[in-house]
Amino acid sequence: MDLIAWLLGLGVSLFIFGAVVLHLLTALVLIIPTWRICTRAGFSGALSLFHLVPLIGPFIVMGVLAFSDWPNGEAPAGKR
Amino acid sequence: MGMEILGLVGLSSVFGLIGLVLAGWMAWRIVEKSGLPGWAGLGAILLTLTGIGTIVPLILLWVFAFMRWPRDEMASAAPGAPARPSSPAALPPPPAALADRRPWRLSGLSASGPVALSMDGTQPTYLLTGAAVHQANELSVPDPTVGQPHARLFVSGGRLGLEDLGTPGGTRIDGARLLPGHGPRDISAARVVHVGTVELALSRA
Repeated sequence: MDLIAWLLGLGVSLFIFGAVVLHLLTALVLIIPTWRICTRAGFSGALSLFHLVPLIGPFIVMGVLAFSDWPNGEAPAGKR
Repeated sequence: MGMEILGLVGLSSVFGLIGLVLAGWMAWRIVEKSGLPGWAGLGAILLTLTGIGTIVPLILLWVFAFMRWPRDEMASAAPGAPARPSSPAALPPPPAALADRRPWRLSGLSASGPVALSMDGTQPTYLLTGAAVHQANELSVPDPTVGQPHARLFVSGGRLGLEDLGTPGGTRIDGARLLPGHGPRDISAARVVHVGTVELALSRA
């Protein structure tokens, strides 16, 4: 019984560890291009670190980029 | 139990749909701000619904981040935008050094009597002041219209430079006003310098 509980605990721990690693890798793949987009727009590249927040992080970054004025300037409305 | 699972699936579907619409809208706006058509951003998000999965939108995100944006071309082509030199070779060359290395001399008449200042190049910069001299690189022009300090003189490559430090008396080079915003100016070819109301003739010693 103890062995089964130990194996179950190990399995859960490994699953959580795998999920965290997968999340970090996915976030990294998103952070690199988003960092560049943020700096080109005139924001701090660190804004892209919101991708580390599960579920809502990417929405926060996109929301800032989409709904605030870019310090480095935007394409004029007529030319879009 | 079955109804609960169905409700959970339905709820997550609703959240997923809201997230998709939000993401598509924001992608549209972001891509538009860069000068590209907004539908490209929306299309990239909608691709996640297809069998292609998320890999193509991810590739498009990387392409978008590192491609040249039309916004940058518009900014550089806009009238009044400062032209960027393409390379250091496009910059004007620095003034050539002069073979004549005799000391520079400024002479004139101040309120306290004759003034004769010599700049032999042993100091790279000299401070022109209306006060008494305390250091080796200070030159005194005792006059109430001369600031304390008033201007900075540079000796480099046999040339003489002058920078106004913004005193009320002002500085003139051959009659032309030198402002602090002008920065250091080469006065090697000048004949007369005014500091305040004191006229100083420039010559070689």
